[in-house]
Amino acid sequence: MGATARAGPTPSAERRGRRRWLLLVALVVGGIALAAGSTLLGTVAIPPQVVVQVLLHEVSGGQLYPDPCAGTNVAPRLCGAYEVIVWQLYVPEILLALIVGAGLGISGGALQGVFRNPLADPFLLGISSGGTIGAAVIYVYRFEVAQADLFLPLFAFVGAVATGLLVLGVARGRFSSVETLLLTGVALANLLSAVLSLVLLYNPVGSEQVTFWLLGGLGLATWEVDGIAAGGVLVLATLLVLYGRALNLIQLGHDVAQSAGVDARRVRLRVILLASLTTAIAVAFTGIIGFVGLVSPHIVRRLWGTSYRVVLPGAAVVGAIFLLAARDANYLLFPGSLLPIGIFTAFAGVPFFLYLLYRQRTGSTMGSV
Amino acid sequence: MSSSGAASPLSVSHLTVRYGDRVALQDVDLTVRPGEFVALAGPNGSGKTTLLRAVLGFLPPDAGTVELFGRPVGSLSVRERALRVAWVPQGESPRDDVRLREYVLYGRFPYHGPLDAESEEDRRVADRVLDEVGLADRAADGILTLSGGERQRAILGRALAQTTPLLLLDEPTSHLDIGHQLDLLGRVRSRVDGGGVTVVAALHDLNLAARFADRIVVLAHGRRVADGAPSTVLSEELLARVWGVVADLRRDPRTGAPYLLPHHLVSVTPSGPPALLGKGPVHVVGGGGSATAYLRALVDAGYRVTAGALHLLDSDLETAEGVGALTAVEVPFAPIGEEVRRRLRALLDGASAIVVAPFPVGPSNLPNLEEVRGSVGRVPIFLVRRPTGQEWDYTGGRARALEGELRTGGAVEVASPAELLRALAALSRPPPVP
Repeated sequence: MGATARAGPTPSAERRGRRRWLLLVALVVGGIALAAGSTLLGTVAIPPQVVVQVLLHEVSGGQLYPDPCAGTNVAPRLCGAYEVIVWQLYVPEILLALIVGAGLGISGGALQGVFRNPLADPFLLGISSGGTIGAAVIYVYRFEVAQADLFLPLFAFVGAVATGLLVLGVARGRFSSVETLLLTGVALANLLSAVLSLVLLYNPVGSEQVTFWLLGGLGLATWEVDGIAAGGVLVLATLLVLYGRALNLIQLGHDVAQSAGVDARRVRLRVILLASLTTAIAVAFTGIIGFVGLVSPHIVRRLWGTSYRVVLPGAAVVGAIFLLAARDANYLLFPGSLLPIGIFTAFAGVPFFLYLLYRQRTGSTMGSV
Repeated sequence: MSSSGAASPLSVSHLTVRYGDRVALQDVDLTVRPGEFVALAGPNGSGKTTLLRAVLGFLPPDAGTVELFGRPVGSLSVRERALRVAWVPQGESPRDDVRLREYVLYGRFPYHGPLDAESEEDRRVADRVLDEVGLADRAADGILTLSGGERQRAILGRALAQTTPLLLLDEPTSHLDIGHQLDLLGRVRSRVDGGGVTVVAALHDLNLAARFADRIVVLAHGRRVADGAPSTVLSEELLARVWGVVADLRRDPRTGAPYLLPHHLVSVTPSGPPALLGKGPVHVVGGGGSATAYLRALVDAGYRVTAGALHLLDSDLETAEGVGALTAVEVPFAPIGEEVRRRLRALLDGASAIVVAPFPVGPSNLPNLEEVRGSVGRVPIFLVRRPTGQEWDYTGGRARALEGELRTGGAVEVASPAELLRALAALSRPPPVP
């Protein structure tokens, strides 16, 4: 570095950097361990040894443990049921939790970025209400039950996307400020909620399912569902991550971003679209799962800093683990029954979030109260 | 006009910008030469920020054109523009505690596709810029931990990292203390001198503008009202006309740059500095601090003043020099000599009124009263009433006798600075037409 001796980063900064890497490694390793361990939990209590052997059997394509229940005292007939439960029920459920959690996490992070508002969440633009209306149509007007598995997500997705586009369209007219967009979203969400209430009032049949839908759940998980959701979320999340650098500049204000080469208006529109589509996928398959999208980006900020190049992928990882942990909390606290998962995202998330907030009071984004 | 190779960094012609009905810029022309440091001056609301924002393409012109290096700004993509011009806005306040180095690297945005990692070039630029803004040792710290002055330098660093040939600054020093103001503009100046960068900066402080800029462009009510080198642009008349401020123009003894000493608003004294001001200054004779209140009151009311003769180290002399009065000065404790008497006589001859402050009179400064007596009948003389029961005449009665002569010669007695101003104002009214 030549004759001028430049002081390196302060030791504390270096230590901080190392700690961040350790945290990341711990999180990823922990996440994988959690996913594996989660197979032990579910609606049916299955001997752990059987679960492990079923997994190895399936993963190896039947090479290992041709009889998944070998060495256990499980009856062969029951063994077949266990095999189905673990591989067709638990694993898709776990994967769906990871996929949807990742989608909600990154979507929340992206929307907090474009709106420069730490309270933004994936349902900001009325997507939840739209999705619920779509789902309610299925539940209330009861199409063939056999087709529900297929049509429910489709209707919910269409409802969610239509609402998001409507909000964007309305707000993008003459008055295209961010505030207008947010308020339009809130207004339309309320209108749709009113419509939903009216529909349910006159059609009590199905209102129970709709309520269940409103709290979210992993009950629709199948390998096919996972495949579709994973494909969609992966593509959209990848595209969103590309906007990390631009979102960093947008935090400095529209004009500064613009002056530094960010086409702020275009970036904003695209990120909103991508995030809304991601959310719509999540809504389509799991209903309205609150808190994941709001909290995950904040957890990342507390642990790794505020750059959106970190916040976006980080929120996906944290969101995935978070939702999976909520699923596990369900089975641990209420063995044998799959309850609305939104209950557990709140139970698991709020205390941890508050702990993070109070432990580390620096880096306020909105000023002190 | 010229080939694009030699195109000026910034060329604004006939630019008009309106906000609704309000005209923010009216027919503004501005051509900036490469390597120039142009200061935009003008009162609040005169259109400085609007002009900068129009240059950046944020405000579409209602008429006229803005060209950056020969290309209309509207024809440039956001990225192309960001490669040509960087901006330090007014009051950019980062909200997130980004590390300084990363923050500076934000300026490298236009050099990247979405997938690129930081390049070697980026790191080199960031290091150089951090050095340039004197924050190399803070690179790993969060930007919110920086002081106000450091943060402003960080913002400059972010703009410099864009490595554009044109740099726009909007009030970059407005929240900084005097040391940081000099520091920041000094760094900008050396960028201009060393790097072939062209700078256009809106600056409130005219003295800083005169000190650092090659050229000052003055805007008032959206129009360009002055443009040129600081020494030709800045004048007392300009300050009164554009800012409504009465000020004295001086010259910085070290740099030769003009600097302005603002006094008060023109509108504070709607009735005067009356007709007298045009004819000549008011001369104040004093000493030992007796003239201070009168000098200040006169200057504040808009009168030009002269003073003397005074001895060096006299507190009245300090005041007189402080308000920019011409003075006749004698060395300490010596009697006022012939040389100084001549100078005093010249000052008295040029004065439109004379004020005799209640100064203690001894043999050394008795000539003051003798000279004032010479002006009796020629200009109005005001005699400040002396406090009773306090000895002031150390000349064995000669001073007392001289004052008596002044009184009989028509000198008006006043008891306070306010009374003096009232008396002067009465004098300056046009005489009643018979």
